[in-house]
Amino acid sequence: MTLLDARGLSGGYGGADIIRGVDLTVTEGRCVAVLGPNGAGKSTLLRLLAGILPASSGVVELCGRPLAGWRRRDIARAIGFVPQTVSFAFPLTVAEVVQQGRAPHLGPWRPPAPRDHAAVAAAIARVGLDGRETTPVERLSGGERQLVLLARALASEPRLLLLDEPATALDVRHQLDLVAILGRLASDGAGVVLVVHDWNLALRIAGRLVVLQEGRVRAAGSPTEVLRPELFRAVFGVDVDLVPRPGGAPFVVARQRSSGGDEFPPTS
Amino acid sequence: MRRAADVVLIAVLLAAAAAALLAGGPALSAREALAALAGNGSPEARTIVLGLRLPRLALGLEVGAALALAGAALQALLSNPLADPFLLGISGGGAAAATAAFAALPASALGLVPATAMAGSALATGLVWWMARGPLGPSSTRMILAGVAVNAAASAVILTILSLAPSPRLPGALAVTMGSLASASAPAVAWLTPYVLIPAFVLLLHGRDLGLLATGEESAAGLGVEVATVRRRVFLAAAALCGGAVAFAGVIGFVGLVVPHLCRMVWGHATRRLLPRTMVAGAALMVLGDLVARRALAPVELPVGVVTAVLGVPFFVALLRRSP
Repeated sequence: MTLLDARGLSGGYGGADIIRGVDLTVTEGRCVAVLGPNGAGKSTLLRLLAGILPASSGVVELCGRPLAGWRRRDIARAIGFVPQTVSFAFPLTVAEVVQQGRAPHLGPWRPPAPRDHAAVAAAIARVGLDGRETTPVERLSGGERQLVLLARALASEPRLLLLDEPATALDVRHQLDLVAILGRLASDGAGVVLVVHDWNLALRIAGRLVVLQEGRVRAAGSPTEVLRPELFRAVFGVDVDLVPRPGGAPFVVARQRSSGGDEFPPTS
Repeated sequence: MRRAADVVLIAVLLAAAAAALLAGGPALSAREALAALAGNGSPEARTIVLGLRLPRLALGLEVGAALALAGAALQALLSNPLADPFLLGISGGGAAAATAAFAALPASALGLVPATAMAGSALATGLVWWMARGPLGPSSTRMILAGVAVNAAASAVILTILSLAPSPRLPGALAVTMGSLASASAPAVAWLTPYVLIPAFVLLLHGRDLGLLATGEESAAGLGVEVATVRRRVFLAAAALCGGAVAFAGVIGFVGLVVPHLCRMVWGHATRRLLPRTMVAGAALMVLGDLVARRALAPVELPVGVVTAVLGVPFFVALLRRSP
């Protein structure tokens, strides 16, 4: 079943489009990685997909219905959004932050029920922060804070998870944990879209890659369709080695800045 | 622990209210005041307790609850622990308008001062909102900067009026800038009540949303908050609370800034849980502060804002030192 379907999606800030005519589909159990150079519009695309930023043209359908017809709270029940960073004005504890993930399921007056507490505890355990529930988030490392934000999104038990560079501050072990968590979510039927800079991480997690350049889709498809050295030269201006790996997608090793941009035909 | 703190808070509020009614001044003993409350006693005693102390108590409860609640809401809305009702220029606008009214209106029209103060607060709110609007909508930083600018302009207006006002009018104008519950009356309490109850309902309704907004607008939107709608409602509700408080009690600082922090140290940072406790704590601190303001240097009455600061700061420092 298609969870999220964006067609001809454009949008940006202050009337200027950053994303231009993007198509993207996420089905149940599918993990899509969005890659591209700095300033390509990856985070903006994620905000448009989550309905946080209104589209200037095109349409995003969530579970077959246009996003514009959804209430914000209902979107938040269906989509778990993990921003890059969150500023904590007050020293909330790990448990208090993760409990925020249950907000879309609670009305303005209803306190959390045992069902909500169980979801929060499960989410904290899933990211390996059990035992740290009462620790103020300001005392956590950058990587641990990213895990708290992931747990907050997991606590809402979403059908679709949108993550904006969730691994930038994670060490190798926690990156592997992230791969396992997202893999398990996908095998449980959830959809995942993650913005990521690390190609090798993307290849471990995602079955489909979308490469953005200046707000447009430059390449999209399976790793074997997308992974071509000329794409890296044209989009990133680097020469790469694609090192074969038995039983999986190759490793991407950046070798040097390339001397000139290659022509690379757009794919979809 | 939190339940015990709730009980202590209610007990403090009731004790403060009882003290304000029974020990409000040397003119009456507590026994006489109690008799007057029950409808007995001398006509003078009934006048003092029912006509003066009871409205003053009610005004103190309303103003304290309004300022503390507005402070807690604005701190969350602007993701800024230093935000308070006065930072945004709302009280400055109200105080400037009230000072101008005291200086300019004929004595027979001084009943219009509260209405003028509310109009000034509303004007300042609109001005801050207009100045804070950027290409991406009003941002927290722009809003605070706009508040600082409006406050500076209001201070200039107040100082100019105080320099030029004829001397018989100065005490009234000065009272606005110092803050006092001395003008309490039954009609004042009745006027202020909807300015407290309706905005308070709006803020309590959005308590959970405010907690999410304190983590940033993108984060809150991702968790289901209609950011633009909630921000507009909360800002207007906080403005109404501050405008009402300034209109009937003048400028009383400290309560809106510190009471929310005192409550956070006891009840944690979850805004939905915090807001109602902040209202009760603000009301209790204001009533206690007013009682001390009346009795400490009697017959001279201190500005209540001075006393709320003197009462609150030691608590604040102690809790700050104790908190992990």
